[in-house]
Amino acid sequence: MTTTVAPPGTASTTPARAPRRARRWGDHLFVLPAVLFVAATVLYPLIFNIDLSFRDVGVAQIVTGGAEWVGWENYTDQLGRDEFWHALVISLLYTGLAVAVAFALGMALAVYFNQRFPGRNLMRSLLLLAWILPTVVSANVWRWMLDGSYGLINTLLEAVGLVDGDMFWLARPVPALFAVVIATAWSFTPFIMILLLAGLQGIPDTLYEAAKIDGAGAWRRFTSVTMPLLKPVNLTALLLCFISTFKTFDTVFLMTRGGPGEATMILPIYAYNEAFEFFRFDTGAVATTLMLIVPLGLSVFYFRSLRREELS
Amino acid sequence: MTATAARRRRGWLSVGGVLITIAYLLPVYWMLATSLKDSSDIFATPPDLFPSPITLTSYTETVVNHAGIGRGLLNSTVIAVGTTVVTLAVAVPAAYALARLRVRFVALLMLLFLVVQMIPAVNLALPMFVIFSRADLVNSYVGLILANCSLAIPLAITILRPYFLSVPGEVIEAAKIDGCTTWTAFLRVALPVSVPGLITVAVISFLGAWGEFVFGLALASDEGMQPITVVLAGLTNSFGTRWNDLMAVSVVVALPIIVVFVFLQRYIVGGLTAGATKS
Repeated sequence: MTTTVAPPGTASTTPARAPRRARRWGDHLFVLPAVLFVAATVLYPLIFNIDLSFRDVGVAQIVTGGAEWVGWENYTDQLGRDEFWHALVISLLYTGLAVAVAFALGMALAVYFNQRFPGRNLMRSLLLLAWILPTVVSANVWRWMLDGSYGLINTLLEAVGLVDGDMFWLARPVPALFAVVIATAWSFTPFIMILLLAGLQGIPDTLYEAAKIDGAGAWRRFTSVTMPLLKPVNLTALLLCFISTFKTFDTVFLMTRGGPGEATMILPIYAYNEAFEFFRFDTGAVATTLMLIVPLGLSVFYFRSLRREELS
Repeated sequence: MTATAARRRRGWLSVGGVLITIAYLLPVYWMLATSLKDSSDIFATPPDLFPSPITLTSYTETVVNHAGIGRGLLNSTVIAVGTTVVTLAVAVPAAYALARLRVRFVALLMLLFLVVQMIPAVNLALPMFVIFSRADLVNSYVGLILANCSLAIPLAITILRPYFLSVPGEVIEAAKIDGCTTWTAFLRVALPVSVPGLITVAVISFLGAWGEFVFGLALASDEGMQPITVVLAGLTNSFGTRWNDLMAVSVVVALPIIVVFVFLQRYIVGGLTAGATKS
């Protein structure tokens, strides 16, 4: 893994000679555009959004501005709404399930493709296609494959006797949630596989040889050698995947739009609907601001795990 | 004997690997196969695993004749190229300075660029819509490129900084002794040896912007300005059960990604895991 938070030590790798004040100022011009850009396109909108969340924004005030300041009213309002809590629960359920499936599959693939055999590098790369495919495309393909009457999935499931007759996945609450979880996990699995492969390659072969001599079978070697040594990498991969999945919007939006009913109404879609369907930009701002707590909270653990990985 | 056994084992592992890969990429194959079927063949029960007869009607009639698709492809090209150019121009010098120059707050800035990538796109799309409405940037290329850059630039910096860290400091110092300024040392020494990193970042910015959906959906309500991803989402409703047509459009949307992936795959694989998240 090459993701890095600059460790404190890297400052010493810059040229050591004492810079003049003018030079040091000049060096900052290299970073200035990026800082200004992020300030203008990320930090300013975020602060603007928080400001919106404290105002009573009607349709007219979207363009003209000048919406009235109402304090915490929007927040108490939002926190009292069942729909908001429902969306939060669905979001956590969807994310948790998708991460669990993607992690289990990603781990299985990583262990398999960590073995030495001809063509493994090509196959690993090919699997990544699922990850880089635009979500709009994969969501559409999954919708077609899950079609009740003519979908490929139903045909396959009927062949092994798991489904009898037409099964309309996206029209029923629990199957719909299951369907978006599978579609999401399909995209994320190769990503997890690559992250875990990097970790697996760091485990010396001699440890497996030793375990083999001690009479450990394949499963025992996995639980007693691979898993403990992979712990820091696992943690990083899980956190990264959880954060990415939690903020995913496209897959669910394109497959179910949050339906049927509210069965797959995840927070990002809920917030989007508030603003862009019902033109309630103030409550949309509240929902997005509250939603930010989950990824930002988890990112603290993510950075810690990154640092630990670097130190080890 | 054991050598033969080991070779046979590797052979079986390869066979298993091929089967796993085929099974995993079945959705990609199914998209392609469906796009080559005619309207009656898609409703065959059980489904035909191979299109027979193979027909290009969905491409020659639907994709080519639908005005919105051409326009969407054009819009996506402009947005993705614009995002890539702006991202390179802004992120490359920044990543270089954060790796090799005397700037302050390096750790803090890198942390900022990483945290930014954890933000859901909806969180930015909502306030951007209001800000852009007031600045008359909704339904404009400038607005869409700015929105895409908001997440592409921090990602690019996180990917690029390690590349510049691997350029030996002595090389840059030597160039300076030979009379290079900080700027010319960057252009003539650091950039040429970091070309693989630059390609990685260019490819990832392009792919990200090409597949982007949320900003396009929120910031381009005018159909003539929508990127192809949003156009495709719209066709999902209007095409109904014309799955062959819908899959043909999907193939066209995926094609640039697949082509870039096939030819530049070695640049992508490292970069994908270097950045934090897919936007």
